[in-house]
Amino acid sequence: MTLLLMTRLLAAAVAVLLLLIHRVTAHDAQLIVATIVYTVGSLAVLTAIPRLQLSPLVWLVDCAAVLGLVAASEDWRSPFYVLMLTALILPATGLAFRRALGWGIAFALAYLGVAVYTELDANTLESTIRLETIATHLMVPLVVVLALAYATDVLERLRDERLRSERFAVESERQRIAWELHDSAKQRVHAAHLVLSALQGQVSGAQAQLVGHALGELRAAGADMDTSVAELRTPLEGRPVQRLLEERAAELGPVSEAEITVHGALGELPAHVAAHVYRIGAEALTNAVRHGAARHVDVILARNATSATIEVRDDGRGLATTRRPGSNGLRSMHARADTIGAALSIGPGPDGRGTSVVLSLSTDPDARSSQA
Amino acid sequence: MIRILIVDDHPAMRAGLTAVLRAEPGFVPLDAATSDKDLWPTLNRTRPDVVVLDYHLPGDDGVVLCRAIKRRLPAPAVLLYSAYADAALTIPARLAGADGIVSKSVPANELYDSIRRVARGERVLPPLSRELLDDAGNRLEADELPILGMTLEDTPLLEIAATLGVEPAQIAHRIDRMIKRLKVEIPAPRAAR
Repeated sequence: MTLLLMTRLLAAAVAVLLLLIHRVTAHDAQLIVATIVYTVGSLAVLTAIPRLQLSPLVWLVDCAAVLGLVAASEDWRSPFYVLMLTALILPATGLAFRRALGWGIAFALAYLGVAVYTELDANTLESTIRLETIATHLMVPLVVVLALAYATDVLERLRDERLRSERFAVESERQRIAWELHDSAKQRVHAAHLVLSALQGQVSGAQAQLVGHALGELRAAGADMDTSVAELRTPLEGRPVQRLLEERAAELGPVSEAEITVHGALGELPAHVAAHVYRIGAEALTNAVRHGAARHVDVILARNATSATIEVRDDGRGLATTRRPGSNGLRSMHARADTIGAALSIGPGPDGRGTSVVLSLSTDPDARSSQA
Repeated sequence: MIRILIVDDHPAMRAGLTAVLRAEPGFVPLDAATSDKDLWPTLNRTRPDVVVLDYHLPGDDGVVLCRAIKRRLPAPAVLLYSAYADAALTIPARLAGADGIVSKSVPANELYDSIRRVARGERVLPPLSRELLDDAGNRLEADELPILGMTLEDTPLLEIAATLGVEPAQIAHRIDRMIKRLKVEIPAPRAAR
């Protein structure tokens, strides 16, 4: 648009000057007024409503108007020739390369029509020079269109390329951070947890409490890292928790006979909290289907002014009385809940059948900061 | 006295495990190995009772190494020690002949307990869920499923070969391929350019 603004103002000035210096027609004064009105008017409208800059109808009107000015000057070697060329800027930059070229050819033909209409006789020697001039005049619109369309095309490709490389850089940086978190930091946390846990049976009283506290912190750190790694690898991108749980339910559908229903919504949560809440919910859902042999699983999400609750209730065989060896699903659910200052209770369902997992967290920012 | 060989590529984990195991009466941690490269010399030199084997290692992963270790005679007990989804490892670990899977997030006393149990010849493996079996079924070829079924029921290799009417070496080769197919993928960082 800047290009159009500058060239059209310049071309209009040239046209007005030519009209002032040379007598072209009997109605030069009206032409000058028309030039100024058209230039200022067209630029004002296009600037005020940017969407019009992309409308082929507007381009068509613009081209017709400038050709009209040429026709009104009664000679195809018109003072408006340069002004006329400016009408090609928008189509040449707005269309794909081939279409822009087509537009340019159509425009050149229209110009030829105007030239024939104004006067074009090829009978004298003088007309040879005229023919050469008309050929040049016809070529210029094509050259303008080609040059602009080519430049636009190159610019667009450059922009795409830059976007792609930026996305790629962000993506590989994410993968690198995830890898470092998982491969190095998390191994250290595991090692520290293991070493500290060896003290558990050997200290008592207040010291045992301290060790227990430190172990809890290390588990929470591990859970935090898991969430960060999962977030870095497959970001939830701020999508609502209920939608994510519905997707998880759909994934679990084919491998189980359980009917999973998600009710309600949690509304807005801070991204970090939402990530933990979703992963606790997803784990509960997986447990119900995988280990609980449930037929029906209900996920109930509720939110009021100060708190949010999520309940996963199934009619399966209930919690195993003995811990499954090597399982850390429940442990990581508790660790996640600790991380976000939420209360997690896992127990038998209301009528004593199945399992009910209830997570409740305060959404009141003051209450949460006092817990932290 | 249980002699234990640790295989882990992370120095903090090796040092932590060695310290923790040394502190427990009845355990003797031996030299630690870092990957498939120094595992074999260390194994030959130390002849451990139990190998505590990290899953994710540079070079061959823990399951592949476990299968190679279990082919030795006499074979030590192998405990896969993993920071990753332990349940997903169950089937490949069973195929590789692992005696146990323990998550890196368990406290020391659970690890002690698991080491004692595998040293006694017990198994410390998560139960097979239907989801895991379905997933394995989808990733294996139809004629591999009987081998999987029999292996999961602890049918000896010779008996599997006799039942299917093929050479034992061929079955062993099939199992290697099945382990490769069931590899638990840990997304690696894409090379930044």
